Amino acid sequence: MKKSTRFYWGALVISLFIASWPWLAPAPKSDVPLAQIARLPVLEGGRVKPLDSFARNSLLLIRGTQSLPLSGRTVSAVEWLLTAMFRPEEADTQKIFLIDDPDVLGLLGLQQGRERRFAYWQIEPKRDEVGNQAQRASAVVASRRSRFQSAIVGLSHRLDLYEQIKNTLMISASGDPIDDLTAFATTLPAALRSIHAPKSASPHDRVAMKVLAQLLERYRFLARAAAFRPLPPREGEGTEAWSSIGASVLTPGGGREPHPGLASYALLAHGYRSNDPASVKTAVQELSRWNRQVQPSVAAQARYEALFNTAQPFISGMGLYVAVLLAVFAWWATRRPEAQAIAKGILFAAVLVHTIGLSARILLQGRPPVTNLYSSAVFVGWVGALLGLLAERVHKKGFAMAGGSLLGFCTLLIAQHLSASGDTMEMMRAVLDSNFWLGTHVVTVTIGYASTFLAGALGIAWVLRRQFVSSPDPEMTKSLVSLAYGIVAFSLLFSFVGTTLGGIWADQSWGRFWGWDPKENGALLIVLWNALILHARLAGYARERGVMVMTVFGNIVTALSWFGVNMLGIGLHSYGFMDKAFYWLSAFCASQFLLMWLGWRAGPLVPARSGREDSGRKPPIPL
Amino acid sequence: MQRKDFRGRIVAGLSSMKLTIACLSLLMVLVVACTLLQVPLGTHLAVERTIRTFVVWWTPEGSKLRVPVFPGGGLVGTVLLLNLLFAQFLKLERSRRKAGIWIAHLGLALLFIGEFSTALFQVESQMPIEVGQTRDYSEDIRLVELAVSDTTHPQRDTVTTVPQSLFSPGKTLADPALPFTLTVKRFYENSELSMRQPTDPPSEATAGIGTNVSVREIPLFTVDDAVNSAAALVDVRLGPQSLGVYWVSNSLGAPQGFSSEGRDWKFALRPRRYYLPFSLTLKEFRHDVYLGTDIPKNFSSLVRLRDAGAGEDRDVLIYMNNPLRYGGKTFYQASFGKDDRLSVFQVVRNPGWLIPYLSCVMVALGMLLHFGIKLSSSLRSAR
Repeated sequence: MKKSTRFYWGALVISLFIASWPWLAPAPKSDVPLAQIARLPVLEGGRVKPLDSFARNSLLLIRGTQSLPLSGRTVSAVEWLLTAMFRPEEADTQKIFLIDDPDVLGLLGLQQGRERRFAYWQIEPKRDEVGNQAQRASAVVASRRSRFQSAIVGLSHRLDLYEQIKNTLMISASGDPIDDLTAFATTLPAALRSIHAPKSASPHDRVAMKVLAQLLERYRFLARAAAFRPLPPREGEGTEAWSSIGASVLTPGGGREPHPGLASYALLAHGYRSNDPASVKTAVQELSRWNRQVQPSVAAQARYEALFNTAQPFISGMGLYVAVLLAVFAWWATRRPEAQAIAKGILFAAVLVHTIGLSARILLQGRPPVTNLYSSAVFVGWVGALLGLLAERVHKKGFAMAGGSLLGFCTLLIAQHLSASGDTMEMMRAVLDSNFWLGTHVVTVTIGYASTFLAGALGIAWVLRRQFVSSPDPEMTKSLVSLAYGIVAFSLLFSFVGTTLGGIWADQSWGRFWGWDPKENGALLIVLWNALILHARLAGYARERGVMVMTVFGNIVTALSWFGVNMLGIGLHSYGFMDKAFYWLSAFCASQFLLMWLGWRAGPLVPARSGREDSGRKPPIPL
Repeated sequence: MQRKDFRGRIVAGLSSMKLTIACLSLLMVLVVACTLLQVPLGTHLAVERTIRTFVVWWTPEGSKLRVPVFPGGGLVGTVLLLNLLFAQFLKLERSRRKAGIWIAHLGLALLFIGEFSTALFQVESQMPIEVGQTRDYSEDIRLVELAVSDTTHPQRDTVTTVPQSLFSPGKTLADPALPFTLTVKRFYENSELSMRQPTDPPSEATAGIGTNVSVREIPLFTVDDAVNSAAALVDVRLGPQSLGVYWVSNSLGAPQGFSSEGRDWKFALRPRRYYLPFSLTLKEFRHDVYLGTDIPKNFSSLVRLRDAGAGEDRDVLIYMNNPLRYGGKTFYQASFGKDDRLSVFQVVRNPGWLIPYLSCVMVALGMLLHFGIKLSSSLRSAR
């Protein structure tokens, strides 16, 4: 084996090992079977998911992170969820509510200090005021709200979610669910006697009726407040027959036995609340066994998703892409082939991890890869890195690798931030509920975004290299420019096909091929810009410097049509509305303009007269 | 000689690549302007003023001046199409090597023609139906028409309609079916109607509900779904004699009426109607949501299609991404209301609807072919 081949495989294997560490790492020590609890299936947001996904998404919404650092150790999302549900007195003191807005803090009477997160007990005295203010702000259309109004509505939603969580499996810190269930079962016959034959009812029966009335009130409250539905359909029930604790007690369904999950969840609550790990273990084992027997496919699905949550492939991917960039820089600095082999090995591993993550999402969701803004970011990065990996086989100068991994890293970082807005596998709204069109239009248009960005990344690489290298290297330059040109051609093909497929989808669902909707216009701009680059180069108006600077402008066009048009808050495509990203987008555009200026000022590396990149050809002829 | 030279220069200019690049740049500016203008103007007006026009006009605040500021989408599109065709047929070699470019560019020309045909021939209207109702017409909520019906006959009405385009102040409208003439005294494309207050100036209407109403002209609505409330002041005259001056508006509910020479007449300003040779009856409307959420999962309408002429009488399910195409028109599930008892269809007649499908396939194949040829030759030379 050649030395560089050994380095290649070494880097590949080590990278894969590092990426699978979250999986292989031993679980943190705990008295309760947290991993098993994390896999319990529940229904929330219209789909079945493991408790782990619900816990992570909730903590992300409330705190902005997927875990909670607490007195020197990291509390997982599931553990936090259990505390909130069963020991709310403790959870209320954890600083989890992220509040940045100074006006909201002022309303709450809190000081803006180093600590940006606050505990529920600090907010509780002003809870009603938050609710009232949020209600007033909700009357204003989302795109017209002031910063305070958006912030107060957001805080109110997060408080609602937290309070719902506390009242899902038992009423927040009130009574014991086992006692409630037993009382319900024992008082029911006596109470019924008192209802059906009031005259012959004994005083005991009348007391029973009063107790029952109180219990019914409690269960009605639980049915209303629940944040999710923990009880899966029983045998003979439809797939949609998920119910909350309260709803299941109130309507057991045509004289049937109570749902077996009721007793188990009550035992879980009792055990966790009274610090009795043995009861928790028994309860979880009962629930898991029952799920596996009665709903094997649902249980398996939840198990896989919990596994996927633990693996965090996109976070490992992000780290690996950075490692590729470092290795490429080391290669450029030292010109040692080992560094090149290492960079290639890590990039292959990174793309593999990214591919596995993407495929897992496709399988779990049963949908094509792009379904919302979050998944479009993941997909753009994947296409960019994969194209970079393939282009490197032809180009072999490191630019494709650097561009691809830069794109992979940036988009995964963006995805990470987008995921804070909730469930990334949310259900598709009616008009989007078409796997055919999601799989064709959305995927091709997103490939178009990705390759336009990749060309732009090459442009950036050219600009930066131009700042440091002044010796003309015609072969290198020619190779880079023709690579960028090829990628622009690829982008034009995909963005055009994607855009027209979108037109055809629009014709199928809205009755017109082209409606000049902001998102459609954005896609059209990408097509026009790529066409402009190709024609400008063919006509000879743009050569090395022109093409490379133009590809950098392509970054701006693509970023605006990807995110910018969503910020206008109008149009049929504004499902992915977002406001915080506005400043980041402006900063990105400014940085690209700066790079374009730097590149333009530096001038072409190869003087146009002596060594034109297509020197073998005659002067440009149109077409 | 000079003329020939001039013609040669025009042809050279029209087929030049500079023109292509200029047009593409102008088009990008227009698309950006069209997108940004949608925030204050709404989609319809923004497109009308930037894309579906030959010149983009600008009217300074508070003046009646119209200043041309930019070439409009129609002009840029036409020039780009000419440029494409000239360059294609005059300059591009007819060889197998360039076959991909030929196919792609011709497909692109077709796409332009398709968009022009849409701008010219596409008619969009709406058809709201409540469950159990039957309809045989659709309405264009952007345009109004004056419907004058002779209701003398107990069984059937005879309706004469006057389209909005004929409404210009001072114009007198006559029709052989009507014994009287209609003189338009005022016409507002959008207006605000309110009950006349004692302090208001006297109404210009002399008959009908208009005598109690104040009508004020207001600018057109810019929100896309808002319906303008048009109003017209109409003098109904029988020869030299006025039968009454009426305010009519699409926001006045019931039709107004009068009797003359033993015949009863009713008239109203209503959304422009397009009658269909067939009818649709809404049997059921469904609005499903995902379990435990209010995220819509599906909207669907079960309708009965009856066309006596063609012998059709069948059920059709119209739902998201699945319209009904019938009789040259397409019916889409567009909206709903009245507690899920009302379903609204978008009705589109676009004879050129297939053109984009064809051109999309042509351009895609052309590009695949061309870039394929290029890629394989560059890979061969790299090896």
